[in-house]
Amino acid sequence: MTSIDVQDLTKEYGSKRAVDHLTFRVLPGRVTGFLGPNGAGKSTTLRLVLGLDRPTSGTARVGGRAYATLDEPLRHVGALLDAQAPHGSRSARDHLRALAVSNRIGARRVDEVLEEAGLASVARHRVKTYSLGMRQRLGIAAALLGDPPVVLLDEPSNGLDPEGIIWIRELLRRLAREGRTVLVSSHLMNETASFADHLVVLGRGRLLADTPMRDFIQARVEPRVRVRTTDGPALRELLARHGYEVSEDDEGRWTVHHARVEDIGRLASGAGLPLLELSAEEGTLEQAYLDLTAPEAEFTTTPAQPQEA
Amino acid sequence: MAFAPVLHAEWIKIRTLRSMLWALGAIVLATAAFSALAALDAGGTGFDALFSAFFGVSFGQVAAVAFGATAVSSEFQGGALRVSLTAVPQRGRWFAAKAMAVGVPALAVGLVTGFVSLAVGTAALGEKANGLTWTEGLRGAVGCGVYLALMALLATGLTALLRSGVATLGILIPFLLLVSFVVGDMSGTVADFLPDKAGQMVLHETSEGALGPWSGLAVTACWTAAALLAGAWSIRRRDA
Repeated sequence: MTSIDVQDLTKEYGSKRAVDHLTFRVLPGRVTGFLGPNGAGKSTTLRLVLGLDRPTSGTARVGGRAYATLDEPLRHVGALLDAQAPHGSRSARDHLRALAVSNRIGARRVDEVLEEAGLASVARHRVKTYSLGMRQRLGIAAALLGDPPVVLLDEPSNGLDPEGIIWIRELLRRLAREGRTVLVSSHLMNETASFADHLVVLGRGRLLADTPMRDFIQARVEPRVRVRTTDGPALRELLARHGYEVSEDDEGRWTVHHARVEDIGRLASGAGLPLLELSAEEGTLEQAYLDLTAPEAEFTTTPAQPQEA
Repeated sequence: MAFAPVLHAEWIKIRTLRSMLWALGAIVLATAAFSALAALDAGGTGFDALFSAFFGVSFGQVAAVAFGATAVSSEFQGGALRVSLTAVPQRGRWFAAKAMAVGVPALAVGLVTGFVSLAVGTAALGEKANGLTWTEGLRGAVGCGVYLALMALLATGLTALLRSGVATLGILIPFLLLVSFVVGDMSGTVADFLPDKAGQMVLHETSEGALGPWSGLAVTACWTAAALLAGAWSIRRRDA
């Protein structure tokens, strides 16, 4: 099983502690969203996992091994850190060719990932002619080159057009379905909510949450139920009797706070009340995230705080 | 990880950048052109027939330095080094492959440069080249190739240490074009041991200072080795 294990990881740059005694595990078979405000230490953590930066203390392992000890690592881990990395004067195909050759990956695989990323028709064009979205696609193609069981992507949706965003969402889900370990950092909440199964949230280098996304939202956003009936007064009376707090909007819809559809539906049916509508009002990841990081976000607005590179 | 695939990858990176190929071409052109010009006007006191045929090396080496510096400086743009090191995390091995991918083509082009420059230079010298022996010419041409490769690698090591091609060129080009010319006449001093002065002894018919043709080239090789070791140390030790 190929998981990512981060154990008591700390990284200091001078006096600034970018990552602070971080411990978490990223498991295969699901997409883990890696969230946190700017400067929270997401990119630093990814660099530490990839052996690019040296930790001050602690360890980061992939499949039980330090990244630097992996033989032909592109076959184990695929990563996108910065879409600006490919040299502008080189073609996408040559960029991928050089990477592939170093890990003894065949030229056919290069063409496959170019095709998969939708870049086949521009593969021989120089990268400087690419838009940001196309560079992102090239970075993702590079990450997939070795068909790796572990995929790390830093802000992959950056600069993608709507079609590209759907593409990356489907791709991430498929990679997880295939049993791969997928870690995706982002600060786009709606975007993350659309592909993540699990969340790891950082704030100021520390772990704030490591939970399934559903639990994360439900624990932090009050569950509400929307209900519409032909007999308003009876409904109000019924709900009040069971201690629910309700509010009514202009169109005759009732919102029941701190309630679940299972309970309200059963209650109404027991009382013989005809219901026209009954639905759960889902909390969003954004609401839950803001609830969690409000104190951290306040901190990052002080002007002296350096931003994440 | 095996070394050959890493070396192959670094070679692909060099041959797929047009600027790198231009720099290699410029080594031959600049050296041969300036050698020919200098040879046409050669003569007078201190005339050295062999060095007149290789005078253009002073200009060709700038292209060699640009070649060696650019090969590494492109890694410090936009996080390219991080991509390289995620593919090849053994940093010492990666840098050795990079240096070899610079050194081998620089040596090959340098040797071509040496023989072209010798041919063009002696032709332009005409009768003045009659005193040159066959072995002196061969020594000069081979020495020219080795010298240019060493200068390219000096720039490679220095760029890895300074993490910037601009900084490297900012140091090396004024040094090669100005400092060396200024101290050029101070023979018999420490100036003889500067990387370019020492290495160019191999291009002279007669040597006056402490260094002979091959010992001079060895001194340049020491400078280059020091720069490469410092560059390797920097690549291995620092966060990418």
